[in-house]
Amino acid sequence: MKKRNKSTHSCQSCVYKINMASKSVVTLGVRPLSHSFLGSASASVYLGSNSVCLQQVRHRRFPKFVVRPSTRRPWHVRKWTEKRDESLDTSNENFIKEVIVDKYAGAVSSPLKDGPWERNPYMRETRRAGVLALKLGTLMHWKKDGTPFTVTVLQVLDNHVINYVPPEVYATYPSHNPHQGLRFGLQVVGSLSCDPRQFSKPYNNLFLKAGVPPKRWLTRFLVTPDAAIQPGTALDVNHFKIGDYVDTQGRTRDYGFQGVIKRWGMKGMPKSHGTTKSERKMGSTGGGGDKDGIWKGKHMPGMMGNHLRTMYGLKICRINTRYNLLYLAGVGVPGLPHTFIRVSDTVLPRKQRSEEQMSQVSMPTWFPEDAEEDSLPEELFSEDVFQFTEPSLQLEAEES
Amino acid sequence: MAAPMAQLCVNLLPKRLGLMSQHINCSCVFFSSSSPLRQPKPLKHVVNYQRTRAEVARALRRKQNFLHHEMVDKHRASPLQSGTAQISEESGEGAPREYRYVMPEFLPNPDFQYRDKVLEKMERRDMLRRRAVIDIPEFYVGSIMAVTVSDPYSPGKTNRFVGICIDRGGRGLKAYFVLRNVVDGLGVEVMYEMYNPTVHSIQVLRLEKRLDDQLYYLRNAPLEHSTFSFDTQPVNLPRDAPVPVNTTKVKLNPKPWEYRWERFNLKGIEPLPLTAKMERGIKEHAKPWEEYDLMLKYRQTVNEDEERSIMTEVFQENSRIEGERKSSRAVLRRKK
Repeated sequence: MKKRNKSTHSCQSCVYKINMASKSVVTLGVRPLSHSFLGSASASVYLGSNSVCLQQVRHRRFPKFVVRPSTRRPWHVRKWTEKRDESLDTSNENFIKEVIVDKYAGAVSSPLKDGPWERNPYMRETRRAGVLALKLGTLMHWKKDGTPFTVTVLQVLDNHVINYVPPEVYATYPSHNPHQGLRFGLQVVGSLSCDPRQFSKPYNNLFLKAGVPPKRWLTRFLVTPDAAIQPGTALDVNHFKIGDYVDTQGRTRDYGFQGVIKRWGMKGMPKSHGTTKSERKMGSTGGGGDKDGIWKGKHMPGMMGNHLRTMYGLKICRINTRYNLLYLAGVGVPGLPHTFIRVSDTVLPRKQRSEEQMSQVSMPTWFPEDAEEDSLPEELFSEDVFQFTEPSLQLEAEES
Repeated sequence: MAAPMAQLCVNLLPKRLGLMSQHINCSCVFFSSSSPLRQPKPLKHVVNYQRTRAEVARALRRKQNFLHHEMVDKHRASPLQSGTAQISEESGEGAPREYRYVMPEFLPNPDFQYRDKVLEKMERRDMLRRRAVIDIPEFYVGSIMAVTVSDPYSPGKTNRFVGICIDRGGRGLKAYFVLRNVVDGLGVEVMYEMYNPTVHSIQVLRLEKRLDDQLYYLRNAPLEHSTFSFDTQPVNLPRDAPVPVNTTKVKLNPKPWEYRWERFNLKGIEPLPLTAKMERGIKEHAKPWEEYDLMLKYRQTVNEDEERSIMTEVFQENSRIEGERKSSRAVLRRKK
């Protein structure tokens, strides 16, 4: 271990992952230049491969998960406030609530201040924004040939686009990955409107541009500039179509501090034959000689769960447009029910849209004007999913 | 009354100790109207009902990606929310109280972590849609039933099985029941999912209950207790008659058994010859306190108000389906 560390540079946090899938012995550590440089006017000129210095890092294994610092990000504003006006009585309180509803209900339905943005066709390179959904739970469904499968149900509740940051500006952000160059801009999406009095003033100011009530939860998606959505636009389940594949990202269930048996699946030790107080312990931590010491990444007890995880490539098999429900074929969406999930078009190359599907994508998102003259059907099904209004499955008898 | 007692404490205490107690816990200092000075904490041990700082921090920790189900419902009903419809509560004629035993699969999981109003409503709607297509009759553990399913491996592409229902379980679309019969001298058990689209018909040949909730002990009983002819004709009960209870007592085979049946407190079997070891086991594994555990019952059942609203919805929809079915039958009869 000592030998391995000699070749790495001192700033470990600057090592970027280049190839997630490979566990090769040799990987590349990439150190971006200083952020002040990126903030300069000529940033876009230098954002090629020149902006990073390539340095070989030998024998570095990728960590199982990244422990995020507990300190707040410097660019995040303070969200919650405890300030409360205690002098208000019930009638005043109700009046203020009415004012809040009047203010925002009108603002959301009013036409946007500047004209609608241009709508571009969907291309292979396009990456659209996603939505923020709540995981509701799982159900049992059947295919038309009688095969059972499990669906995970997500609800897209009260989503609005809050902000769009073009690529030139995003390149000056400290969170920008220089490998992406000027390909992506930032699309900020929020969900669940709240009473603005419980948030701090700088947090409420984030929503002035969009003209929507402050949201409980914000997230950002990397989008290509042709798929940028105007702030203030409402997003709902029609953003996706039946048959699309989506990636779902969220935080896993928080187990707290756990031992090695639950956390890493170790075997423990025998319960009898002279063993005392070691039934659930981990045993040896390593060998000796050349490989002595405790290596980095050794599986040990610690905090388990509450990690950001992504489930790739789940197919949308059913949509409910009235309650904004997405039915995904399969399980593995992270977290307990009522977890916030980021849902976006999949990045898996084998599950991209066909030419026919590409012509039907709503770009940059679905607007109510896109609906056909007759109103949208309440429920949409994939072709191979059994609908419960259909008769039972009949198999034709073979002639012999 | 408190002030003179506090004064007394001050007089009795050495000066230094009083100062120390002030330093240790400033939040619990007494104030009295008579003496404006701070009085030291009495030496008596006071139980700290306030939680430790770590406990408070853990309780107040914001689950960043997780919302309590009540908060979710609040957001759904908020006037600031737009674009998503709200589910409506059913009102009108309520279901009879015993309806929960007729259709137990409509009751949701009582664990609040896995509950969601919208999801439950959608699941019920799917179940009722399926119930409109095929008739799923009232049945209990102990009823004799016949089920027809489509089977790709049988010559006629359908398979009919007759047997006694020995178990019933599952919630929502995952509801199931288990039939048992003896075919060619061999005990056969088949588990059927009630809402599976391959099921063509479910027929109750003899509607009755047994003394136990599960009849898995028939595996260790003589085969005559679980042998039923495939030609059994259905017996119709008179309308509004109570469901009869079959009080047959089964005599189990001698050991070995599948489970230690003597520990299950079964009512549908004849008294077992108990050895001293078996009696010891019964005593060791008995849980007589569970009968009085109110919290256990509370955790294992759905709130009564919610149950009423769910069952009302199911009852109304089901009676509508049955009415339609009756009228279509009448139309068919007239055509004949």
